[in-house]
Amino acid sequence: MNSSFKNEINQARNIFDWISSRKTFMIIILCCIMQISTKAFSQNTVLSLDLKNVSIEQVLNEIEAKTSYRFLYNKDLVDLSAKVSIVVKQKSVSKILDQVLVGTDITSSINGKQIVLSKIEKKSSTESLKKVNGVVTDDKGEPIIGATVAVAGVSTGTITDVRGNFVINTQSDGQLKISYIGYETKIVAINNQSQLRVTLIENTKLLNEVVVVGFGTQKRANLTGAVSTVNSKDLESRPVANVAQALQGIAPGLNISQNSGSLESRPTINIRGLATIGQGSSGNPLILIDGMEGDINTVNPNDIDNISVLKDAAASSIYGSRAPFGVILVTTKKGVSGKMQVTASTNFRYSEPINLPHQMDSYTFVNYINTASRNLGNGDFFKPDQVQRVLDYQQGKLGKKTIIADPNNPNHWGDGYSFGNDNVDWIRAVYKTSTPSQDYSASASGGTEKLNYYLSGNFTNTEGFMKLNQDTYKRYLLNAKINAKLSDWASISYSGRFTREEYTRPAALGNNLYGNLGRQGWPTLPLYDPNGYLYSSPSPALALRDGGRDKSQYDWNFQQLSLTLEPIKGWKIIASANYKIGDEFRSWYVLPTYNHDVNGVPYFSPQGWYIGDNTNVHEQANRINYFTPNIITEYTKSLGKHNAKLMVGYQSERNQERNLGLTRLGVMVPENPIVDITSGTDNSGKIVAPSVNGMYREWSTQGVFGRVNYDYDGRYLLEANLRYDGTSRFRKENRWKYFPSASAGWNIAREAFWSPIAGTVNLFKLRASYGNLGNQNTDAWFPTYQTMPFSAASSGWLINDTKQNTSSAPGLISSALTWEQIKTYDGGVDLGLFNNRLTSSFDYFIRYTNNMIGPAPELPVTLGTNVPTTNNTDLKTSGFELSIGWQDRLKNGFGYSAKLVLSDTKSNITRYPNPTLNLGQYYAGETYGEIWGYKTIGIAKTQAEMDAHLATMKNGAQNAIGTNWKAGDIMYADVNGDGKIDNGTNTVGNHGDLVVIGNNTNRFSFGIDLSADWKGFDFRAFFQGVGKRDYWQGSPYFFGASGEGVWGAVSFVQHIDYFRDATDPLGANLNSYYPRPLLGNNKNIQTQSRYLQNGAYLRLKNLQLGYSIPAKITHLVKIQKCRIFVSGENIFTATKLASMFDPETIDGGDNKNGDAYPLSKVYSVGLTVNF
Amino acid sequence: MNSKKIILLMGVIGLFIMSSCSNDFLDKQPISSLTPESYLRAETDLASYNIKMFEDFQVFQTEGNPFAQDNGTDVMASRGYENKFVPGQWKVPQGGSEWYFNQIYSCNYFLQNVLPRFKANTLTGDPAQIKHDIGEMYLIRAMVYFRKLKFFGDFPIIKTTLPDNKAILTAASKRAPQNEVARFIIADLDSAILLMKPTAPDGARNRLSQPCAQLMKSRVALYEATWLKYFKGTAFVPNGAGWPGATKDYNASYKFPSGSIDTEIDYFLTQAMASAKIVADATPLVSNNMVIQQSTTDPVNPYCAMFSDIDMSKFSEVLFWRRYDLALGVTNGIAAEIGKGNSGRGFTRGFVESFVMANGLPIYAPGSGYAGDDSIQLVRKDRDGRLQLFLKQPKQLNILYRSPLGTHSTPVEPYPDILNVLGNADYPTGYANRKGLNYDEALCGNGKSYEGEIVFRAVEAYLNYMEASYEKTGILDADAQKYWKAIRTRANVDPDYQKTIDATDLSKEAANNWSVYSGGVMVDKTLYNIRRERMCELLAEGFRDQDLRRWRSMDQMITTPYHIEGFKLWGPMKNWYAPGTLTYGIGDASTVSSPLVSLYLRTYEKTTTSLVYGGYKWAMAHYLQPLPIQQFLITTDDGKDVTKSPLYQNPGWPTTPNVGATF
Repeated sequence: MNSSFKNEINQARNIFDWISSRKTFMIIILCCIMQISTKAFSQNTVLSLDLKNVSIEQVLNEIEAKTSYRFLYNKDLVDLSAKVSIVVKQKSVSKILDQVLVGTDITSSINGKQIVLSKIEKKSSTESLKKVNGVVTDDKGEPIIGATVAVAGVSTGTITDVRGNFVINTQSDGQLKISYIGYETKIVAINNQSQLRVTLIENTKLLNEVVVVGFGTQKRANLTGAVSTVNSKDLESRPVANVAQALQGIAPGLNISQNSGSLESRPTINIRGLATIGQGSSGNPLILIDGMEGDINTVNPNDIDNISVLKDAAASSIYGSRAPFGVILVTTKKGVSGKMQVTASTNFRYSEPINLPHQMDSYTFVNYINTASRNLGNGDFFKPDQVQRVLDYQQGKLGKKTIIADPNNPNHWGDGYSFGNDNVDWIRAVYKTSTPSQDYSASASGGTEKLNYYLSGNFTNTEGFMKLNQDTYKRYLLNAKINAKLSDWASISYSGRFTREEYTRPAALGNNLYGNLGRQGWPTLPLYDPNGYLYSSPSPALALRDGGRDKSQYDWNFQQLSLTLEPIKGWKIIASANYKIGDEFRSWYVLPTYNHDVNGVPYFSPQGWYIGDNTNVHEQANRINYFTPNIITEYTKSLGKHNAKLMVGYQSERNQERNLGLTRLGVMVPENPIVDITSGTDNSGKIVAPSVNGMYREWSTQGVFGRVNYDYDGRYLLEANLRYDGTSRFRKENRWKYFPSASAGWNIAREAFWSPIAGTVNLFKLRASYGNLGNQNTDAWFPTYQTMPFSAASSGWLINDTKQNTSSAPGLISSALTWEQIKTYDGGVDLGLFNNRLTSSFDYFIRYTNNMIGPAPELPVTLGTNVPTTNNTDLKTSGFELSIGWQDRLKNGFGYSAKLVLSDTKSNITRYPNPTLNLGQYYAGETYGEIWGYKTIGIAKTQAEMDAHLATMKNGAQNAIGTNWKAGDIMYADVNGDGKIDNGTNTVGNHGDLVVIGNNTNRFSFGIDLSADWKGFDFRAFFQGVGKRDYWQGSPYFFGASGEGVWGAVSFVQHIDYFRDATDPLGANLNSYYPRPLLGNNKNIQTQSRYLQNGAYLRLKNLQLGYSIPAKITHLVKIQKCRIFVSGENIFTATKLASMFDPETIDGGDNKNGDAYPLSKVYSVGLTVNF
Repeated sequence: MNSKKIILLMGVIGLFIMSSCSNDFLDKQPISSLTPESYLRAETDLASYNIKMFEDFQVFQTEGNPFAQDNGTDVMASRGYENKFVPGQWKVPQGGSEWYFNQIYSCNYFLQNVLPRFKANTLTGDPAQIKHDIGEMYLIRAMVYFRKLKFFGDFPIIKTTLPDNKAILTAASKRAPQNEVARFIIADLDSAILLMKPTAPDGARNRLSQPCAQLMKSRVALYEATWLKYFKGTAFVPNGAGWPGATKDYNASYKFPSGSIDTEIDYFLTQAMASAKIVADATPLVSNNMVIQQSTTDPVNPYCAMFSDIDMSKFSEVLFWRRYDLALGVTNGIAAEIGKGNSGRGFTRGFVESFVMANGLPIYAPGSGYAGDDSIQLVRKDRDGRLQLFLKQPKQLNILYRSPLGTHSTPVEPYPDILNVLGNADYPTGYANRKGLNYDEALCGNGKSYEGEIVFRAVEAYLNYMEASYEKTGILDADAQKYWKAIRTRANVDPDYQKTIDATDLSKEAANNWSVYSGGVMVDKTLYNIRRERMCELLAEGFRDQDLRRWRSMDQMITTPYHIEGFKLWGPMKNWYAPGTLTYGIGDASTVSSPLVSLYLRTYEKTTTSLVYGGYKWAMAHYLQPLPIQQFLITTDDGKDVTKSPLYQNPGWPTTPNVGATF
């Protein structure tokens, strides 16, 4: 064993002595031991060189190539970029080095065959120093305050003052390094000048931009996969509830939708459209925050440095089975060495619900319902005396008498539905029309080259629109990051993140509240009884106000430790351990509610419909422990114009979950609804056993992966990935799988033949990729195990007046269940023109989701249980993404930019177990989202018109849909001319008069981002929308009266436009939009072309105007930068949709009826201050 | 170290960590769930499985109000007419329908797994109770199969769970002739009788017991016997003319196990009599004091309380019932529904007029004392006690015990709200049911009632015996006489049934009551009166529809429509309604039917555009349900040619979807 080997061993031991002895780290030790050198060592190696105007680094590379010497140095400390020329013949290496390194601050020492380069200790010879003055400005000529000015190679430095000026003592032939956050660092040679003027360029570089990719980074110019990036500026000053909302429309192919505005609701995120229609599997993108899976909505938007969206398989395959449908990499800010930077920002928001529908007034309502009832031959629903009272009340004749006493029980008020005569817009009785919220953030960052930190905190308090009992959402975020350089070859970083969300709401605010409001919030239903007490019939208000609350607290604690070693130049080992603890505690309690009798005496009135009958306290807790260690090692090597990088790594994940919950009846002290002081008794005093639950479960994955990058001169780019992955979801035989991917690129603009136009077209790159991935994201954690459904003390069949245990037959399970396979092809082109002022990128992709878990081929029902699902369904999704951006700054300092992103996907089902091609389910050949319906001719204005229409069809006309066709009913078109309107056998082969009338897939999603700045003012307008979408809204929210009868009828002002003839109390309306309303019949509201909705929209998502107070003023109060802004969210919407719906929530709500909690229009004013 | 070595080294690292990928780390099992291997091993496991069946199965759980199940017959009507009485409107379904086997699968899974363990004596727990649990499962399977028998007639008999293999499942789709299905059910019931305890083990009859199986056996046997008898020779019985089963090889040469259809009928009648007698002799009827409680001091009438009590275990006649409990959140909506208009179901005029007088005479008989039907009070006067007890009259108190929980109570019976179309307060015929009424307002919360529900009531055995013995022998034997008298005595009707028989005029009865007929022909007066007794005693309990079908009592409506009528609106009772609210002859806006058509309220004949304006009609095919077409297609190789399926359609139903019956 020779000395150099010992040396390496010692070095390795140094590294590992202080790290844990985990298995993965042991591997590295093993690897180091294997670094056995066999090459003979020559004592007096001599060589010849003839190099002109090359960097020192190239000289060293040349020496390494020709000898067995190896250089060891820290790239960050030793600057080898200086150009030198050297011509030597047969000189020793040490001589050559002396010659090369003369005039630099680098010294060399040879130790065996290893040559260590290090920086010369600075001599403090002040007499050779010279005072240099300078001013640092940005490209607009504005002084930069607080920029770090350092003598290159020395840790001492200074900071520019309020006018951007600095004074520094340095050698007259030295170099100054000037840096400032957000700007490109510049090195300036002093060259004996005593007055310097330095202009820093903002960090908007494109070609040299480094993009975060899976387990590493890549220069944008060298990217071959489909990756979109978002930077912190895109997210600035958006008064949104969470990051995902701010991402909507920003990155092409990243689809964000939020169909409920409820405070706790999260937007759904998807990449490149429909991922899977597999039963029991999901296709969400993998979201990694600094390398660990997390919820993007709990990230402080101000902490985000950048976001990469890995869209194609080539980019995401390194994450294997967890990432078949793309990856979103969120990188948060790191500490920056230098003077401490403190940023504080705050904003105050004012939100209004978007599109709260208006209900009919009470008199119109009773007429509407009566007409709809009469139209079906059922006579008036509301009796004349009630109708009269409704009218009298509206005219003020009844004062506060919203209801009469119950004729059967005169001491109580009557049932609100049968006797009410109030005139209430229940939507507005329950929802506020505005609500405030606040957001506060602060961060501090600083430190030295060796140790730096980033700390931040954020607090958001949002109030919802509940009028009677406020719903609130609070979020607390804390983030700390520390990076430490342990030695030249080792650094460590730690990050700790804590997030807390608190959501509280009335216990009665369940999902069904929204539905019930429209359905049962009859305008005639009294909100308050004549004595002024809130009155429940039952109706939604009382339970909301008095029925108790539901409180949730979600905590996430993220701990990440990462060690980076670079034992040999170019070879890095990065090991990290990531641990995440999630805790959810939720409690809700139900308090007693009281109605008041006619004398104002309260009596207990359980609100079972909304909150259950008995007072109770429910507590539940859920804990998730998630651990993912990973280790990667990579080696970078350049030989001439050949550049290569090799990476291999290992990752495993283990996710453990446990939960418990309990409910006990009988709140004893309504002020303190706590389990220990519940009586355990029901309303009648009977003791009821508390209900309890609890369980454990876990899943795990494991994978090894490797990646090779190669490029020749930055012109020809190649990347290949391979991952071998296993998951606990499947049995041994089907558990492991290889996921390969490859991509290639050609930077045509770097070719010699391009040089004539290279000045105009700076970047022209073609890309192509292919990858094969698998999806293990089954909803069930143990999809291959048969389990016995069992439930303790839960039976609805009582024995001895007690609930019994129940069990039932297990379902059939296919233990051969295995991976869904995803193959993605992607082709793209990147363009940069006019000095990269115009940039564009385009991708076209085809993604095959094959072997999805679908319904098994239908079997005769003699089986008697559900046919086990198997892998038997295929889907093809294709689409494109386009982004075009222009940015420029005029000579007068006016800067502006415009960016358009546009993407589109469409999916076809290529295989599906539906041999009869029944339209009731998916079928092979279906374009996903297609809507089958009848063609509408129109509404018959007269009986004669209807009769004439029916007479055109000799074979039963419209009888298959309904009978008793009258004026005001729909005339459907006999598309197939068979003399009757029907859906045939409802199959592709025989669909009768049904035709495809539209498609509900979001097509042509776009975002338009316009911004400008001038003399401290900045402006941004960001539009987002969908270019094409059809939607069939067949619910009572659209139609009003329907087959659901009186308890399912909804009455908005839009519904007033229904067909009426001259006999109607409300007057004739022959040219109505809606047909004759029918309470309890659907013949007029079949899926049909007339009422198909156009879901396309354009929404002004964000509009902001900011002003940065000039630095010379702010400096007076020691502030570097101060920006005030006004910002608005969801300001304006253009859509052709029926006006009671919002294009984003039309498919939201309990039953996808568009009856969701409304989204918000938000106005905010804010302030950001940098100290 | 040069590049090659580093790459080599990284390769070695890769290999090393690959070898560290271990399957142990990825072997995760559902530790919080029970596995089939570990369950159904102990007596308590078996019990939990049975109880889940009790709760889930429609055979026990009527949907909503159990006293509304006679709707869609000649005795009860709701606001909307029934499509089955409008030939052409009941259509062959593409999929769905009652043609499913999930409950059968659940039973078979239990028996298949438990029986071998039972035989090997590896089940833990009290052996007698284990036997009882298994017996219960046989009874449950019998009940599930009886439901299929009633809907479809011929039906596949599947005794084990089957693999998800199309060929096997197609073969299993072969329909067994309906008498074979009935024999299979009886075999299951015999197993149940053998294994179960004579009294329910819980002590409150919320578990099954031997008498339940005996009663069920008499019900099934009587059903099949009368079906075979009245449909004999038609396509609706095996080997009858045009029986579709004959078109399939596997049934083409079917032979009755007893030799002929007549011996088969006799076999079933014998079974019905024997098992009915065991139950009837062992179970006395609950008494009736004819009190309709109107104050808290009035004595309770056990005969009324039996149908609405929270605890039904005190009534010997109730063999099996379901308990509810508000505190446990196990509730129904019965009390509030009965307090109002019985879920929008009303008795028909035909039904009300079929009740005899308390003196035993039909209302039309000379000297009957019938007071007429100008008011509900008059129509109840001196009638069969059951009509007096169970037909509501305005101003009666429905609530005697007040409670704030009763948000949906109706403390005083109102005038029938025939104009109210609001489902649960609707009185579509004017005559409303009172059976099941509970006087405690606490039970009248919205869907928060907790009165019990009867599943088996022993009086059915009395009725089954009377009918089976008369069908078999043509005479009323001593037992039948004894039972009949017991029922009439309890009903406060003169027990001399012969008096009623003698005074019966079938042509008058036929105007009201479909069960005068079998196969379009009037039956004899004794048999009709046995049927009448059954109808009156089982009032509103959900037997009427299956009885009418097994008696083949609707053929006459193929040619002669029947008008569903309610109370006599266009007599003095019209004054119960505000002037101007009763409108007719103005199309859809009409609120009631015209007095020119009938003095009685014709709920379905308010407008001439109603599809049943001309009355209810019938089609033979409607005696059985059509099979869904998808099941034909899925049991063929090509998914197209329905004739290649082992299935055959029921008589009169086409093999194309969405069309009505052909005859």
